[in-house]
Amino acid sequence: MATDLATPPVKAVKATGHRPGRARALWRYRWLYLMIIPGLAYFLIFKYVPMRGLQIAFQDFVPFLGYNGSQWVGFKHFEDLFTGPDFGRLMYNTLFLALLNIVFVFPAPIIVALMLNELRINVLKRSVQSLIYIPHFLSWTIVASLTYILFSVDYGVLAGWIHEILGGQKIDYVAQPEWFRPIIILQTLWKTTGWTTIIYLAALAGVNHEQYEAARMDGAGRWRQLWHVTLPAIRPTIVVMAILMSGNLLDMSFEQIWLMTNNLNRGTADVFDTFTYYVGINQGAYSYATAVGLFKGVAGVLLIFGSNWLAKRLGQRGLF
Amino acid sequence: MSASRSRLLAGALTLTTALLASACSGTGGGEASQADGNTITFMTKLFGTAPSPQGELHQAIEKFLGKKISVTWVPNAEYQEKTNVTLASGNIPDVMVVDPKSPAFGKAAEAGAFWDLTEKIKQYPNLVGDPKVLLNSSVNGKVYGPYRIRPLLRSAVMIRKDWLKKVGLEAPKTTDDLYEVAKAFTEKDPDGDGKKDTYGLILPKWPGTSFAASSPFNTMDVWFGAPNNWGERDGKLVPEFDTPEFFEANRFMKKMIDEGLVNPDWNTLDTAKWMDPFVQDKGGIIIDVDVRTTQLLDLLKEQDPQTYGDKVLTVGNLARPDGKKFSFPGSGYLDILAVSKQRVRTEAQLDELLKTLDKLAGKEGQILLANGIEGRNFKVENNEAVLINQDDPKVKQLQDDVDKAFIQLGTQASTGATGIAYLRVPPEEPYRKDLAERKERVAEDLKTAVFDPSLPVVSPTVVAKGATLNPIVTDARIKYLAGQITEEQLKAEIKRWYDSGGTQIAQEINDLVSKLGQ
Amino acid sequence: MSVNQYRSPGSRVFDAVNIAVLTGLGLITLVPLLYVLAGSFASESEISSRTFFLWPEKFVTSTYEYIFATDVFIRALLTTVVVTLVGTVVQLALTLTMAYPLAKRYLPGRALMLNLVIFTVVFSGGIIPTYLVVRDLGMLNSYWALILPLAINPFYLIIVKSFFQELPEALEEAARIDGCTEMGVFFKIVLPLSKPIIATFSLFYAVGIWNDYMSPLLYIDDSSKWTLQVLVRQLTGADAQNALSALETVFFPTQGLKFAVVVIATLPILLFYPFLQKHFVKGVLIGSVKE
Repeated sequence: MATDLATPPVKAVKATGHRPGRARALWRYRWLYLMIIPGLAYFLIFKYVPMRGLQIAFQDFVPFLGYNGSQWVGFKHFEDLFTGPDFGRLMYNTLFLALLNIVFVFPAPIIVALMLNELRINVLKRSVQSLIYIPHFLSWTIVASLTYILFSVDYGVLAGWIHEILGGQKIDYVAQPEWFRPIIILQTLWKTTGWTTIIYLAALAGVNHEQYEAARMDGAGRWRQLWHVTLPAIRPTIVVMAILMSGNLLDMSFEQIWLMTNNLNRGTADVFDTFTYYVGINQGAYSYATAVGLFKGVAGVLLIFGSNWLAKRLGQRGLF
Repeated sequence: MSASRSRLLAGALTLTTALLASACSGTGGGEASQADGNTITFMTKLFGTAPSPQGELHQAIEKFLGKKISVTWVPNAEYQEKTNVTLASGNIPDVMVVDPKSPAFGKAAEAGAFWDLTEKIKQYPNLVGDPKVLLNSSVNGKVYGPYRIRPLLRSAVMIRKDWLKKVGLEAPKTTDDLYEVAKAFTEKDPDGDGKKDTYGLILPKWPGTSFAASSPFNTMDVWFGAPNNWGERDGKLVPEFDTPEFFEANRFMKKMIDEGLVNPDWNTLDTAKWMDPFVQDKGGIIIDVDVRTTQLLDLLKEQDPQTYGDKVLTVGNLARPDGKKFSFPGSGYLDILAVSKQRVRTEAQLDELLKTLDKLAGKEGQILLANGIEGRNFKVENNEAVLINQDDPKVKQLQDDVDKAFIQLGTQASTGATGIAYLRVPPEEPYRKDLAERKERVAEDLKTAVFDPSLPVVSPTVVAKGATLNPIVTDARIKYLAGQITEEQLKAEIKRWYDSGGTQIAQEINDLVSKLGQ
Repeated sequence: MSVNQYRSPGSRVFDAVNIAVLTGLGLITLVPLLYVLAGSFASESEISSRTFFLWPEKFVTSTYEYIFATDVFIRALLTTVVVTLVGTVVQLALTLTMAYPLAKRYLPGRALMLNLVIFTVVFSGGIIPTYLVVRDLGMLNSYWALILPLAINPFYLIIVKSFFQELPEALEEAARIDGCTEMGVFFKIVLPLSKPIIATFSLFYAVGIWNDYMSPLLYIDDSSKWTLQVLVRQLTGADAQNALSALETVFFPTQGLKFAVVVIATLPILLFYPFLQKHFVKGVLIGSVKE
């Protein structure tokens, strides 16, 4: 790739070595460093300073008393989390949904972007592009009420049709645990796919026309063009998205799940994010919630660095 | 990575740490601004758009109190979040509307964020209100502020009056009657469309995870003689679900559900859509708070302004099959006005503030908060408030400021409970009739009200393990009603609740209640 | 677009299926919005009595009359537009200027800084600690509190960075030889080549600010400074735990009103996209560049 060829400056730094080299590198790249400063300051002030709040995972934090006034309790909250009666179930439910997200939610925008890319009718292409990101603007509350309109056992429009076609016993899709995950995944697909598609469309906008010409000269059909030109062009974006997603794999949309939880499906529905919310409401336990956050963060770091390593092993560029 | 580069990184890291350290100097608390005698700061809930400080009502209240007020209006849906942040901010207002039983408040109060007013409040008659309700709003007997009044009893049954006539039945008095009505509503085609497409009772999804949820399920438990959350059996307090009457009530509900007399989506129906089947001619009975009648009338009136008055019949609590009646009351309050120690620092400042609050809690103050400005947006007739000038946009604004905002600061008069303010009488006949009947009904039902003795106390174990413990029995009960588990399995789940910490909770509740010396 | 002259039968079948599927996708995203739109013009009893409809039997404008009866909504709308515009520019500028140096593999210290950024994807201090920082910076009740605490989304930063990495280095090299500083290269070469990502992330940041209700709620006590989403949230937020909470007030947001505020809060930002769409045309990025 172009970037890899054009990196003489690195060699210069290495050659001159030690102290003078560092100063010279600073001087040589002063513009670049200057450009980085505002962003870096942002991260330090708004991301790293608040991270001192993570210490409350080891305290019994009372907001009024602050960091200094709250009592230290060591790893108590982590013990509660890992040995609590709910941990196994929460872990299982969270991982299950995470897996479904990887299999269904992650590829969806790529597929839609590719399909849009193949669409020849410009008017339709533009209209569909402007429509599919609408759901991003509708809150989970509205998504949930639409879900009931479609699937309620009493008045669900879609459930009614399915029942008419298939007959038999009416199925209560929104109440039964076995339908919980499919419904959550459907909701997520509907709400997020169009939005994420935009990123891939931007990547696709960068594909060189001449490459298609060349492929066609070689007699490549549409499938081969897709495979040999389009996909490689957006592969770096796919890899970046995959690695980033892995870092937040254990994060579920709390509001979405909370709205679809009921007494019958709670065993299937509860994930770390919803349980933490119940703990917050019922027990006012900030420290516990922070401990859960830390645990998820550590898992996220492992996943993100692991997948970055894997991407590099597979010959991709990775994040860093 | 070469040696020089890693040293450069190390340098950058040091810089980062230094920056972090310098940016980390101040923690928590911060310097709080002190109360000045002339301005009182409040934080309370908001249901519409926020009133302007230049608004008519705001000005009128300031004039009445002889002090400036500054209110932080917080949308109701996000109140909890904002409360947490405010408690941490070091900027707690003088007076904060809070749920005294929320763990977040409990911990802050224990840490000394709020004044303990148990003794002091007695000097201010307007703030004390009803001593029993005041005790209910306390934390294990400690009073942190005047409570915001709510009706002590508001459970009722709303029935489609026209359907009742159609199937030829009387208004139900017992649970057996209720069953008969529900059965007739389901089977006798009360909407007259020739199809069997109706059901009797409309039940919504269980709200939240706690067992005591003021849901129709809880109401029916009490009708059958089960305790209201906690109750005395053989000299000891036991939970609602550990009594034979609870199982009796559940068998009754399960029978109705099994026979299809209840809406099929009863375990997922959103409470916001509770009234829809009633209005859609699909279901005919709702067990909920009595002000629901007003909402139903509103909807039915929009549908048909001629007949809506003949479509809703509201009756009180029902007796159980043997004729004994037990009614389901509430706690009589919602939230308290807690006084911050952060801004109100000295006893003298506290006395000054309480004096002002006492003035606001008097009749004139409560009328301002709950009715508005006499002669401007309402007039008094027969000791009742009649709205006037509502076409004037400025008056409409004033009315909005009352209904959606300032009424949330009311203590002895508030939403649903007029207290010492004027009762607002709606102009239309069906509403007037409902209000008049409500008064009698509530007075009658209060005679048989089963109060929850555990209201004033907070069990430490619930605070420590609530998220795990609360759903156990709640979920099991719904699963039992849905036919997913048997009565034996439900009993096993109750035992699991006891074993996981319930025994301790029962012990604490008993100890704490007996300490109150009741 | 004359991408392909020869069309095999398989290709035609694919086109037909593709058109059908994408049209379907367009519809299932459009229909709910139409329902919300129809609901905002329907009477309350119609919403209660019909499960689903796209055309109200009787047109009612009372919800909109209610919303626009006072200047509260209009003021909030204006505030939101201004904050969104300013915020998008600030956030985009910070993101682009930071992403560019990070795209340079030869820059000493880059790995550390990238790690610092990636770390924040998975760890965050939480609401209260961030609030304390905003308070200590004196930004409470200031519109900057709606912009700066969320100024750089690490996710977006990394994606922009990898876009920059894909730019042909040869062009930048040429500019450098012509005497451009890195800053010059960035403004004269890199930015013009990056229109699609600038379009994309201005949309992402704009929508992020537009949809944010938590920041104004936490940082802005002065209700006259509230943005649109606070009002929307207030009227449409998930009802609290308690069955009785809906009846806590004389005022009860009706379904129609909920729909109407969603319409008002969604339409302006939806109109944003078509303006950006022209930048998503093929060939803008590399097609114009000869390697």
